Amino acid sequence: MIADLIEAVAKILFIFGVNMGFFAPVLGWVERKQSAVMQDRVGANRADIFGFTLIGLLHPVADTIKLLTKEDFIPAGANKLFHTLAPFITLTPALIAFSVIPFGGQYEIYGHTINLVIADLDVGILFIFAFASLSIYGVVLGGWSSNNNWSFLGAMRASAQMLSYEVAMGLAIIGVIMVYGSLRLTDIGAMQENFFKWGIFLQPIGFILFIACATAENKRIPFDIPEAETEIVAGYFTEYSSMKFIMFWMAEFLEMITIAGIITTLFLGAWHIPFISSKMLLSLFSFAGANGATILVMLTNIATFFTKIIFMIWFQMTIRWTLPRFRYDQMMKLGWKILLPLSLINIFITGLVLLL
Amino acid sequence: MNTLGINEKKTEINRNLQSSVSILQPYMIGSIPIDKLKPKKVRKNTELTLWERLYIPEIVRGMVVTTRHFIFNMIGFVFPPNGKKRSIFTVYYPEEKLTLPDAYRGRPVLVMREDGTERCVACGLCEKICPALCISILGGERENKERYPTYYTLDMSLCVFCGFCEEVCPKEAILMSDEYEGLAEYDRKNMLYPKEKLLVSEKKLQKRIDYVRKIYSKCNY
Repeated sequence: MIADLIEAVAKILFIFGVNMGFFAPVLGWVERKQSAVMQDRVGANRADIFGFTLIGLLHPVADTIKLLTKEDFIPAGANKLFHTLAPFITLTPALIAFSVIPFGGQYEIYGHTINLVIADLDVGILFIFAFASLSIYGVVLGGWSSNNNWSFLGAMRASAQMLSYEVAMGLAIIGVIMVYGSLRLTDIGAMQENFFKWGIFLQPIGFILFIACATAENKRIPFDIPEAETEIVAGYFTEYSSMKFIMFWMAEFLEMITIAGIITTLFLGAWHIPFISSKMLLSLFSFAGANGATILVMLTNIATFFTKIIFMIWFQMTIRWTLPRFRYDQMMKLGWKILLPLSLINIFITGLVLLL
Repeated sequence: MNTLGINEKKTEINRNLQSSVSILQPYMIGSIPIDKLKPKKVRKNTELTLWERLYIPEIVRGMVVTTRHFIFNMIGFVFPPNGKKRSIFTVYYPEEKLTLPDAYRGRPVLVMREDGTERCVACGLCEKICPALCISILGGERENKERYPTYYTLDMSLCVFCGFCEEVCPKEAILMSDEYEGLAEYDRKNMLYPKEKLLVSEKKLQKRIDYVRKIYSKCNY
């Protein structure tokens, strides 16, 4: 009983620490530095402590201190309650959604079974979708309560975009669910031990559709019309400053991590290393004794999972700094006329193949 | 009597001009002179082909380009090519500075002879030609009947760095130096540069004097 409690607390602290303590601040730096490297620039490298710049890694710290000490401004005529509530409603689902994503398999150490997922729900994917759609409320509330035309336009665009892409995203995943026959993410992860049974080989169209829809859900370029700087200032968070502004940004980065986690779990073989089964790993680490080998395998699997996540984040960043923005009508056309029928066709073909 | 005819005079002028032009290199883009450069053919049809309307291949093509840049630059960052800090062209400004071209026009300065007097004879040509009206001169005369400016002020808040003063000066007394730092001030009064602030010794400006002789003397006089 106590062991279970300790295990649960340890897992929650680990995921919270990795996401909020490592990824969320560092991704701001990664975004700036990676775009710089891609565009033959140098990027942020000026903030220093006693002359040590750490290749610009101190910039997130400087930015955070600057934003924390700024005035928390609420515009005149804004709805104070909703204006304050909106960033919380955006950030919390982004943080929670990661809890059902497994970052490792099941391991038996000293007679105690460890399942490396915070909440092993049997409706894991549905849970993620439910919370992903909750974050729309934050966006719409933030835009509406700011008493600003740009914010309002951004909120309207965001609601339209996220509603239309949610449909295609849900349908894109159904193919994967049909192939693996489970909604539980740990099961789906465990079934991908064989390299050629990874979701990306079984559902290539689903993979592309899901990446497109997930980018749209996260409101990043090429689907960033709700916060298009050149059109509507900053969209729904035009009127936000200080800590609330950070919360919107953090929510975006956390959603990026969550999307990377979902893609890794569903399509990229979760915590498995290609061509190396866990039995081979166990025999490789057999010098450490039965329990030691299991622990080493567990650590390897966690490292593999986070390596894949980092790769997917890099991939999303590359998309963001490569493509231009869609126009509003082009994006709606893409969502309803191309992605939705394609996902339906994908489901149809998958069902046909499974039947035959 | 052996006077030159008009035609002969013309040919002489032409020869002079040609010799001066041969000093000036033709403007090069890469290794090709500008007059031999041919424009690329521009694709005029803006309609997307079917291949482009599939999006995915074109997106992949774009991502390959950016990824190639990313990888090569990362290699350049980690293993910098021989002696350089990196393979990126950005200049870390306060620590590193660009090597300026000969023709660079920085802040205008007055040339000071070795005995501490100025070359300027206060003829007032620069004052007259200055399009921004930033120069004001008051001429005086020394004991040896040599003219000099008793008062020479250049308003740096008005100066547009056109270099006309340098071009028109018959005595090579005012030159555009290569200084471009420390010209901004919080107070406009500080931007009124008196003669003492403008004077720079001959030795420091030797490079610019040579350049001015090469560029202006033959073409204009």
